[in-house]
Amino acid sequence: MRGVLGFLAPKLLRALIAVWLVTTVVFVVMRLSGDPVPLLLPPDAPISEIERVRRDLGLDRPLPVQYATFLGNALRGDFGRSIHFRVPAWQVVIDYLPATLELGLTAFGLALVVAVPIGILSAVKRNSALDHAAMGVALVGQSAPTFFLGILFILTLSLKVGWFPTSGRGDWTNLVLPALTLGAFSMASITRLTRSAVLDVLRQDFVRTARAKGLPEPGVVMKHALKNAALPVVTITGLQFGTLLGGAVVTETVFAWPGIGRLAIQSIYNRDYPIVQCTVFLSAILFIVLNFAIDILYGVLDPRVRPR
Amino acid sequence: MPEKGERMSQLTRRDLLKSAATVGAAAALSPALGGPAAAQTTQKRELVTAQGGDISKLDPHFSTSSNDIRISFNIYDNLTSRHADGKLYPGLATEWKLTAPTTWTFKLRSGVKFHNGDPFSSADAKFSIERTYDPNQKTMVATALSTIDHIDTPDPGTLVVHTKKPDPLLPARVAFYGGQIVPKKYLEAAGNDGFNAKPVGTGPVKFVSWTKDDKLVLDANDAYWGGKPDFDRMTMRPIPETAPRVAALLKGEVDIIVQLPADQDERVAGNPTTRVAGALYAGLYVLAVNSKRPPLDNPLVKQALSLAIDRESIVKELWRGRGIVPSGMIAKGDNHFDPKLPPLAYNPGAARDLLKKAGYKNEEITIETTVAYVSNDKQMSEAIQGMWRDVGVNVKVEVIEYSVRAQKNREKSFKGVWWGDPTSTLGDPDGMMWRLLGPGGINDYWRHPRFDELGNAARFSVDEKFRGEAYREMTKIFLENFPWLPVIQPYEDYGLQKYVEFTPNPNQQFEIRKFNFKFKRA
Repeated sequence: MRGVLGFLAPKLLRALIAVWLVTTVVFVVMRLSGDPVPLLLPPDAPISEIERVRRDLGLDRPLPVQYATFLGNALRGDFGRSIHFRVPAWQVVIDYLPATLELGLTAFGLALVVAVPIGILSAVKRNSALDHAAMGVALVGQSAPTFFLGILFILTLSLKVGWFPTSGRGDWTNLVLPALTLGAFSMASITRLTRSAVLDVLRQDFVRTARAKGLPEPGVVMKHALKNAALPVVTITGLQFGTLLGGAVVTETVFAWPGIGRLAIQSIYNRDYPIVQCTVFLSAILFIVLNFAIDILYGVLDPRVRPR
Repeated sequence: MPEKGERMSQLTRRDLLKSAATVGAAAALSPALGGPAAAQTTQKRELVTAQGGDISKLDPHFSTSSNDIRISFNIYDNLTSRHADGKLYPGLATEWKLTAPTTWTFKLRSGVKFHNGDPFSSADAKFSIERTYDPNQKTMVATALSTIDHIDTPDPGTLVVHTKKPDPLLPARVAFYGGQIVPKKYLEAAGNDGFNAKPVGTGPVKFVSWTKDDKLVLDANDAYWGGKPDFDRMTMRPIPETAPRVAALLKGEVDIIVQLPADQDERVAGNPTTRVAGALYAGLYVLAVNSKRPPLDNPLVKQALSLAIDRESIVKELWRGRGIVPSGMIAKGDNHFDPKLPPLAYNPGAARDLLKKAGYKNEEITIETTVAYVSNDKQMSEAIQGMWRDVGVNVKVEVIEYSVRAQKNREKSFKGVWWGDPTSTLGDPDGMMWRLLGPGGINDYWRHPRFDELGNAARFSVDEKFRGEAYREMTKIFLENFPWLPVIQPYEDYGLQKYVEFTPNPNQQFEIRKFNFKFKRA
């Protein structure tokens, strides 16, 4: 037990420092880069009116004072009221979260389900037609910008063929195109990585030994190669999930998907400080939890990194 | 106003590469869009609209963004209502007249009920108007109706409004934002937050539900005094990107889209089931000028800059013909617009001569442009940069973000020229030009004693003949000094299914009523 704590405690401390740094940077950058008040008022509002609203929102106070208030409240889980919506920021972000999780998890699942088997097959059947085709598609998937892919899907699969709705959230048909768009990059990189990881392992001595022992090829791949190839795949997969959260900004905007990525970008334009701080805080926490999960998975997969 | 609506679509055009890709893909696919026999009629009972951004609030007195007012003008009514022809019509007031130089008397419609069943009376009207400028309410429309001194309600059907000075435009003011009528009793019981969460008005649609950035659902008000609109339910979907918004229309998922960019007109008009409807924007797109900074403090330089802009080409090339060249500071369609005034001239030779005469010494002039704050702003900036360079002006284009622009507006810290889209909120030069260029206005960078004298006199005069003459003389002064460089008066285009009959309003209010909206039934 002490071992686990010793393993986790420094990580936890670093994570806390990271969250603090991220929120602080966002706090400062947002405030230095624009003022939400003129955006709230009619374009011809006189200066006196703008100053009045700034006072009402507490934006006239010196930055350090605002920062201290923000930190104090944030520690108690209070991110303030959204300037744009006039309701508590936390409540708004929570409302948007399910849509992002639904999209992100579907895209992630789709990426894994497609990428891992194809990656393995490509490695095993190296230089076959399947390998070349898969690697070609993966290259396109990895290099096509998300917005381009999204709009291409809308114009072809939705508008021309009519299989899916163009945008919005609804039943599962609404989920297909955004999930494909969002998952494309991860799908491609996980495929490529799985392939090279498996290829790497297949060249190792213990695989040769297994084959020499006369084990059937599927057994060699499934039992011995895969477990060893899993390590880099797990790492990159965990990182990919983070990329998915970032990619959600564009995908959600293109598909009019009501998720936190879209909320974040709009709140940045609106200089809605409380919402931006709240989404950034939440994303930072998500990343840290993910990293923890990967570290723990590592320990399970590779005894060498387990704490002694 | 349109000001703020546009901003939601920033992400699209923020990235040139992105829109280029979109247009390319769209062009490649459009011939394939034939589809089955065009649906020219429908049996639909639900109207679905899409706009570039979601609403932010349902309380009408806390926002003036165009995304919000498109909805609030349907949940609520105003005392007066501006129709597509630009004229004022009865709303919750059936008639109004000037009963003394500073007194407007409104006769109110009887038998009107709020969505919750409460009757509407003069007490609600008084409460609503006073609420806008009540300092304790902290509304975002505190200046909209601030010409009012106090309000009397001699009986439930009469509202007597006393203004501080004669106010010729009060009936127009109450037709626009700030003038939406809210229920006194319900609002006082629910509080501001409760009301914003569950709003109640007298308008043709009632609030049902709102899922942020997903959809807003409104039901038809069967008891509406103007007649139940031709649907049972109205849904508004925010679709931020232009290409998917147009695709949703072409595929028939939505019935009306707003803010259709000129470069998408062809796709919508060329599709067998959809069409484009437009209204000339009630306002102008101008380059506002910081006339305090040399060399822009020299009227000759500004005259030269105006002469060097080839507005015809801008209309034709960047707007596909969806706009007209302005003639001065008053938008076409507004009170006191002079139809005899010629469009602003293009004459690069004369511009060069004027620059020489002005002693222009190659000082740098900066165009501070946003991207998609108004449609085509960056493209127009680049075009104008080229035109000005052609006559020997040293010009630089700087791209700034929307909120930075708002901040510069507040601090009055623009360096040279920048885009504005002065909306004619009252159908009158006072509510547009004078509101912004007058002393204390956000474009107050230039003062001229005679111009100011006339502007103030016209503001407080209820004699329209005098006002007309004042604006004519002001236009003359304007055209010598160019505190704005007007560039275009564009069309505001909407994409519609062919089975939708709808006449848009030049003010972007998007009021959907029985008189201007109908589904074509088989």
